[in-house]
Amino acid sequence: MSFAHSESPSIAARSIGARVPRGDDPRLLTGRGQYLADIVLPGELHACFVRSSAAHARIAAVEVEDARALDGVVAVWTGEDAAKFCEGIVGELEVEGCVATTMPLLARDVVRYVGEPVAVVVAESRYVAEDGCDLVDVDYEPLEPVLDPRSALRGGPAANEELPDNVALRGGRVLGDVEAAFAGAARVVEATFHSGRLSAGPMETRGVIADYDWTSRRLRLWTCSQMPHYVKYCLTAYLGFPENECEVLTPDTGGGFGQKAHVFPEEMLLPLLARELDRPVKWVEDRRENLMTATHAHEQFVDIAYAFDADAKATAVRIRATGDGGAYHQPPWSMGVEPWCTAMVTPTGVYDIPVADLTYEAAATNKTPIGAYRGVGYMAGTLVRECLMDDAARAFDLSPFEIRRRSVVREFPWTNPQGIVYDEGSWLQTIDELESMVDYPAFRQRQAALRAEGRFIGLGLSVFVESSGESTAMGKAHDLGGVYHDTATVKMEPNGSVTVTIGLTTQGQGHRTTMAQVVSDALGVPLEAITVRAAESTTYGWGSGTVGSRGAVIAGGAVLRASHTIRTKLVALAANMLEADPSDIDLVDGAAVVRGVPGSSVSIIDLATAVYFDQTSWPEDFDPTLEATLAYDPARPIFSNGGHAMIVELDPDNGFVTVEKVFSVEDCGTVINPDIVEGQIRGGVVQGIGAALLERLVYDDAGQLVTTTLLDYHMPSMDFSPPFEIHHLETPSSHTPGGIKGMGESGLIAAPAAVLNAVNDALSHTGIVLHDIPVTPEQVLRALRS
Amino acid sequence: MTQPSEQVSVEVEVNGRGYRRSVMARMTLADFIRDELALTGTKVGCEHGVCGACTVLVDDEPARSCLMLAVQADGRRIRTVESLANGRSMNPLQECFQKHHALQCGFCTAGFLMSATALLEEGQPTREDIVETLSGHYCRCTGYAPIIDAVEEAAAKERS
Repeated sequence: MSFAHSESPSIAARSIGARVPRGDDPRLLTGRGQYLADIVLPGELHACFVRSSAAHARIAAVEVEDARALDGVVAVWTGEDAAKFCEGIVGELEVEGCVATTMPLLARDVVRYVGEPVAVVVAESRYVAEDGCDLVDVDYEPLEPVLDPRSALRGGPAANEELPDNVALRGGRVLGDVEAAFAGAARVVEATFHSGRLSAGPMETRGVIADYDWTSRRLRLWTCSQMPHYVKYCLTAYLGFPENECEVLTPDTGGGFGQKAHVFPEEMLLPLLARELDRPVKWVEDRRENLMTATHAHEQFVDIAYAFDADAKATAVRIRATGDGGAYHQPPWSMGVEPWCTAMVTPTGVYDIPVADLTYEAAATNKTPIGAYRGVGYMAGTLVRECLMDDAARAFDLSPFEIRRRSVVREFPWTNPQGIVYDEGSWLQTIDELESMVDYPAFRQRQAALRAEGRFIGLGLSVFVESSGESTAMGKAHDLGGVYHDTATVKMEPNGSVTVTIGLTTQGQGHRTTMAQVVSDALGVPLEAITVRAAESTTYGWGSGTVGSRGAVIAGGAVLRASHTIRTKLVALAANMLEADPSDIDLVDGAAVVRGVPGSSVSIIDLATAVYFDQTSWPEDFDPTLEATLAYDPARPIFSNGGHAMIVELDPDNGFVTVEKVFSVEDCGTVINPDIVEGQIRGGVVQGIGAALLERLVYDDAGQLVTTTLLDYHMPSMDFSPPFEIHHLETPSSHTPGGIKGMGESGLIAAPAAVLNAVNDALSHTGIVLHDIPVTPEQVLRALRS
Repeated sequence: MTQPSEQVSVEVEVNGRGYRRSVMARMTLADFIRDELALTGTKVGCEHGVCGACTVLVDDEPARSCLMLAVQADGRRIRTVESLANGRSMNPLQECFQKHHALQCGFCTAGFLMSATALLEEGQPTREDIVETLSGHYCRCTGYAPIIDAVEEAAAKERS
């Protein structure tokens, strides 16, 4: 079945491809950005949460009277108060074997992880609200905490009684004769990997402001969300706010990385408080809360095995991905998406592996719910695939480049065992390009020379293919439901200026600049005449969320389709005015010109003015609406690809690993703005280096989270960040606007594997092979000493 | 002894303008700047003194405004990100940040700019000086390399 909103008109790239500086920057650089905490509503109250100090306990009593009596405290709610309005928010992943959970807005009867909200105090100031929280006394009767996901799946106490066997997700598929492939293998390489528990760690924490007007039943909710339309849907579905009087507003946002692509209990509670208290209510999360409760990410245990033939070509894969899911499914992504994606999507990657045995499972544990973080499911999947490939390289005594060339897909379109079709890609070229960038023979010489001096350097390689431009077709290709499309509105005013609104919120990705570049090329107007507004309010447009590397593709498609409607009118008008055929008109450099007729042109400004004010210039049956809203959803799934090679140095005395240099190859089709693409690569790769070497959320044996400040949860700082060399390959998509592919997640998806491979290469003369990240100094020293 | 919620008088110069306010003794300098003076360019990222987003200059020295009380700023001279632009144009440091794409979400940027400003005012920082000084700031978007390049170019512009 085909749909009109999947067609994207062609576009001549002029501004597209240029390093256009971001229009947002002067505002942000002068302190004029307006983030959530910067918004002040008259009469606003401040909310602060009492959070569980126990991993798993029965709530015997919640004593709130002292808090209620405190001067300046306006209200204190517990789970019972919230439950009068909403039983909780339901989370599940729509795949085989997922069991839903309901997350209460405030815990009732039982708490299931440290940090779970138990009560909320609302006061005249944030300071008093925090004082009030200190006066709330919760009496906990401890229950046994469930902390080990693999033993939890074998039985024992339940982390959440909705999931009595702790199985939140379990399923899989066997595709082809995997048994025979392994039985006939010349060599089998296998390992168990653990990727650690992470926080996305956006510099701006979460926050919500709710304002309700009972006269109109109008709710305005400010939230720094990546999915404001989904939040709005939840406000109507769970809380009953009328859709037409419900507006979700998204101010400047200090990073999201997937963490802000959920709906949270706090977002549902604040509107209720604002309505019941008849005052605006604000909540700004602090960093401790952010690290404790704003979803954790990426933690999995993965068993993976590859069968190889005698030529070192991979012939089969077997994988079991086990997620440590936390106490609830956080809607909409749930604890399921991480292991499901690792098992069902990533095991073959860029390799022609014909048969696969895929198993996914997620265990409920008494920890913070797992949610999305940049490259959800893909990071762990790429880690295990690419690191196992390096294990195989060592087993076959081949270079990391050569082992990959033995199995890489060379012919397109290619269909993997799961039935996912890849239309095009530069998968082999990526491997070759990285090999020449690192100068492999020279690296091996330098490595040998340094080893002789007692210094350990290593080279690690990781190549990836990334689903991008999250779409309905992408979902279908992966046996997922869901309809994803966004709209954009393009409006040209009498002076020929253009205002664009898109359905995506933006968290620093520069969408306002890249979308202006698309419009500039579609309409021939200069960038200065174009203003792009992101989804600052759900009043404008529709958006399925800034997730899944979809921004450039989906917003680009919607913007291009809407621009094309305007373009068609400008061309018709110009043809009439210039007495030319519409097919001979080009819009370029601020004018409509007749191709091949020098001097025959009319400015876009004159055309726009004529649309509004000069009916005599119009052709027959002309419709002067210079405003168009159109949707876009690509007809087919889109995949970008690339790879990273990293050189690290491991200090055998103290176990520290530092990254000396990163070489990156990215193929996201047509590049709209290289500065922005490179910014996404560097940022994502450094997050990946953090995941591989530094970052780890740690629970103790009682289920206490012990990493609750940025001193304990150690993200990469400047002295830890390597220099980059970035090369672009361009294999345009045949069916997206201008051939654009998405790439926002690729850095984090593939970097940790490159780091771990480089560490193992640095240690290759010792026989040590590590399979867990982060590679901490303790882990390195323990391995070196054993 | 002064109680935490007792009101105390604070007199400061912020971005060249004098202010006198009565505030709670426990109010942080960050909250004072943001809530009392409505200068919201200074951001609060962690309230633990780790991330550096809230950095301002107190008597020309970088300070974490989340770890300082407003009363401790009494009688002192403060500069925030709002002081940097030259009239209606960005200063060279800000221009270099834009040119090198040294910011994405912009939340950490004011802190980087203020520490870099102090560093540039101290003299001629080398690339190593820049990295050492600015490693006290977190940025989650850029991967840092463009920030180093931006400050390095701003230092070179000052030399010329």
